[in-house]
Formats: sequence, C-alpha cells, structure tokens
Amino acid sequence: MSLVLDKVSYHYAGTTHGLSDVSIDIRTGELVAVIGPSGSGKSTLLKLVAGLESGNTGSILLDGDDLSRKPVHQRHIGMVFQSYALFPHLNVAENVAYGLKLRKVPAAERSRKGSELLELVGLGEFAARPISKLSGGQQQRVALARALAIDPRALLLDEPLAALDAGIRGHLRDQIRTLQKRFNATTLLVTHDQEEALTMADRVAVLKDGRLLQLATPRDIYERPASCAVAEFVGLSTLMPAIVTGDGQLDLGFAQLRADTGARKRGDAVTVLVRPEHVQANPPAGAPNVFTGRVGTQRYLGSVVRYDFHLPGLQRPVLAESREAATQSIAFPPEHIRLLDQ
Amino acid sequence: MVRGVAVAYGIYLLLPIALLLIGSVGSSWTNSLLPTGLTGRWYLELWDDPSFRRAFTTSLVVALASCVINTLLAVPLAYSLYHGARRRGSFAAKIVSAMPVAVPTITLGFGYMIVFNTDLMPWLGSLPLLIAAHAVHTLPYLTNTLLADLRHLNLARLESAAATLGARPLQSFLGIVVPNLRQSLISGLVMVAAISVGEFGLSNLLTSFQNRTYPVVLLQAFYGATGFACAATVILLLLASTSALVSSSVIKKS
Repeated sequence: MSLVLDKVSYHYAGTTHGLSDVSIDIRTGELVAVIGPSGSGKSTLLKLVAGLESGNTGSILLDGDDLSRKPVHQRHIGMVFQSYALFPHLNVAENVAYGLKLRKVPAAERSRKGSELLELVGLGEFAARPISKLSGGQQQRVALARALAIDPRALLLDEPLAALDAGIRGHLRDQIRTLQKRFNATTLLVTHDQEEALTMADRVAVLKDGRLLQLATPRDIYERPASCAVAEFVGLSTLMPAIVTGDGQLDLGFAQLRADTGARKRGDAVTVLVRPEHVQANPPAGAPNVFTGRVGTQRYLGSVVRYDFHLPGLQRPVLAESREAATQSIAFPPEHIRLLDQ
Repeated sequence: MVRGVAVAYGIYLLLPIALLLIGSVGSSWTNSLLPTGLTGRWYLELWDDPSFRRAFTTSLVVALASCVINTLLAVPLAYSLYHGARRRGSFAAKIVSAMPVAVPTITLGFGYMIVFNTDLMPWLGSLPLLIAAHAVHTLPYLTNTLLADLRHLNLARLESAAATLGARPLQSFLGIVVPNLRQSLISGLVMVAAISVGEFGLSNLLTSFQNRTYPVVLLQAFYGATGFACAATVILLLLASTSALVSSSVIKKS
C-alpha cells in the first residue's frame, strides 16, 4: 500500500495556518517522519490523511485510491493519538478488539487476534485490566495494538511518544519500529522530536509554515540540509553568512575560509554550515581554516564537552563538541563545511 | 476552624429536618420549643387522606416521566451543543446553562397558561402538560451536567479514535459517547428527580384538581395541625429521595 500526497493544500478559515502544496510519497512498508516546529502544519497533514479534517485541494491517494471523498470510518487507516484516546469504559482487550467488533469479526476470532497483538506489544497478561490501571507507556502500546488490529492499509502515528518519560521513550521507539516492519505498515509519523524522527524513519519530511522544505533520508537531512531552516531545525549547527570570492574561497567578513564552492560563482551569497562535532579543537599547525578566539560556556555531556567558542568579528559563538574543549583555537576542516544557497 | 464551620453548617442544614421528624410524631406542638406526647396519628391521617395519596402518586409519575423524557432529550442535546460549541462559539450552550437561573418558574407557568388555555390547545390542567412543563424546567440542569462531562472527558478525541477504527457516527455515539456519560447522567437525573418532586411554582399554576402534585397539596397541610404538616413534609422528603434513588438505579441497570 503506497500513500501519496500530491500537491495537498489546506487552509484553516480565517487564519494563515494550513498547508501549501505539500507532496510526499510513502512506499509500501516505509516509515516517513514529518517534523517541524509547532504550527508548521504537521498535525493538519495527519488529520487530512486520517479524514479528521477535510476540504483540502490536491489529492491523497492510498494505493491509487483517492481518499478525499471517503469519510474517516471507511478509510481503514490505523491511527495512534498523542493522548492514546483509549476508551475508558472498555478494558485492555476490548479496546484492542473494538475495530474488529465493528467489522463483525466473530468473538472467538476477535479474542484470538486481540491476545496475539497484546502478546506482540508485551501486554499479554493485561488483557482484563481497566485502562485506568495502565502506565502511560502501557497505554501507548495498547493504542498501537488497537490500531494494528484492524490490519490497517496505512498507519498514522501522532506524536506517539511525546507524553512519555525520556527513559521509556527509547525502548518504545524500537518496539514501534519493529512492529511497523513486521506488519509492513506504510507509516506516517508526526513528531516534534528530531531524534525520534532521525532514529525511526526511513525518510524524514521537514515542514515549516505549511511548506515542505525537504524530504530525504535521515542522513541526507542531517548532512546535506537543503536550506538554513532545515539545518537549524535538525541537529545543532553554526551558521555564518559568507560571499564566494573565488574557486574554493569564501569571505566570512571577519576572515577568509577555504571550502568546496562547487559551481558557485564569485560574488554569490551563501550560508556556511558547520556541525559542532566537526569543529576541530586545538588544530595542529598548518591545518586549514584555523581561527583563534576564546572559550565561552561549556556543557559537560559525558562522552563529549559541548562549548561555545567566540571568534572576534563573529556575533554569535561557534558551537563545538569534542572530548576536550579548545583552549585557543579551532578549525573547520574544509571537507565538513556545507554551503547553503541563500 | 474549618471543622467548626463544617459542623455549624451541618447543624444548620440538619436541624430543620430533625425538628420536622420530631414534630411529625409529637401529639401537640404549640408555643413550646419541642412538641409534647408521642403519636403516630399524623401519619395515619395522612395515609387516610385520599388527596395526599393521589398527589404522592402524581408526583412520582411526573418525576419519573421527566427523567425518561430528559434522558431522551438531554443526551443528544448536550452532544450537539458540545460539537456545535466547538465549531461556532458557545452561545447556544451559554443560553442553555443560564436558562434555569434566568427564567423563573412563574414566567414559564404563565406562558403555559396563555398558550394552552386556547380552543386550539385546551390542555391546561392535564397530566401530560404538567409532565412536559417539568421536563422543560429540569432539562437545562441535566444538559449542563452532561455538557460539563463531555468537555471534561474530551469525548471528541475518543470519537476520532473510534472513527479511525471504522465506527460510523451513530455507532460511536451509542458505543463510546453514551457509555462514558453514564456517571453524569446518573447524577443529573438524581437532580432532575429531586427538583421535579419539590417543584411548587410551576405545578401550582398548571395542575387541575385531580392532578395536583405533592407540594401543591402540602400547602394545605399548613393550615391544619402542626404535627400533620410535619408528617406531610417528611413524606415529601422521602418522596424526593426515593425518586432520586429509583431514577439512578434504573439507569445503572440499563
């Protein structure tokens, strides 16, 4: 089952919020994560696919089947809500079997499938428990089992881990991913947590102000962001404006920089991107792009120290990470410098 | 301090009821703090009085009928107000919540007298009209209770979940919304029954001689012996609490 969003636009009446011209194609069994700041339209996108919002232009196709005229209950798309939305008057097993009951699946088959799914999410012994007796993580797993029970044509995950403690989140991420692969579910995950998106997704879509900025693999999104907005939103970075002064030569305003300028011409305005882990502390003599300055705030993270490094002439400090903070100088190795067109 | 206030309030609340109970079994009570003598004759007299017996039944019928009508009306009403308010501001919801406070029963009663005393609709004094009036008067109380619960439970979220699992709107209303409103329906109906049984102004204006409700007949008791009036009032208290209990247990079973 492939899920294709083709030039989808949507506007909330009386506001500028919504989506404009968003196109995303999700292949069978693929997990695409949509990330973006709040108000970027990512939840709207999910609601449109689920059918909880309607009135968009463009088309949403599930295996070639146009969904736009289908009401929610006919779409056969499983959804896990941020707050889980479990039914408080039903117990765990009844929640999981709710969709099957609506499909008039015989009771014996319902209970067999229900227990199978509860076993899969590790809650086999909880079948008869009331929902109120479950922890947040357990509720989340019941919600996932309930969505998968109907053998959905696609799976939508709306910030599924946002309400959970950091400790349990990592484990559940892996569990969701394993189940998603096992069911070969075509999945759209909406999250504001970039780590969640990068670790779980086959591809990541970055949304801002209702527009799709980039759709690429997690590695490409991080290492080759298409714009400053993507670079700023995904991972930490130092961004500096610069002018191309020649082949492999840039002017930062306070210093010269060597980097691969590609096909850019002299005089082109670009933004220089350097990830903190690529900043070299205390570089050896003769290394390219060495700058002297002073260390600012240092944050000890265990495996590395993340620190600010102030360069004379640069307003905002450079963000760097290494085993030890630099004392006097840092370097930007040319192979790790990305140039973003403005 | 807080405890003291609570105890004082409790006394203030319970003392009249205690005095009523004492008065209803006292043989004589004139110009004294407490009645003298012990008797059961007031209750016997009450039992022998056909107008009180009849009023007792009428009140019970009116209260239970109001509960049934309110259940059928208030659940869909509160539900559509909840969804309407989310879409188009909460003006309608505000009107419903303000209605019982803003419209005194006497206003409602006069309205009924004008409308239903015509050749076209000569229903003034009939039992169905009395029931209808009680249902209208108590409807906002139940609707408000349900509306508060709908908001508190954030039922729209559960309905969305049910819809993604394949539930048609009616299926999710009956299978998800109604079961989750059970608690507030029970507490709302207890209130409806108690208000209906104790209601005087509306009933006094709308009843015929045969269909008088208990409070209307009770008024007459005050012109007679104190003990008789006390006993009749104690019965009203019992009636109100019984109908509240009955209405809630009927709902619990279903």
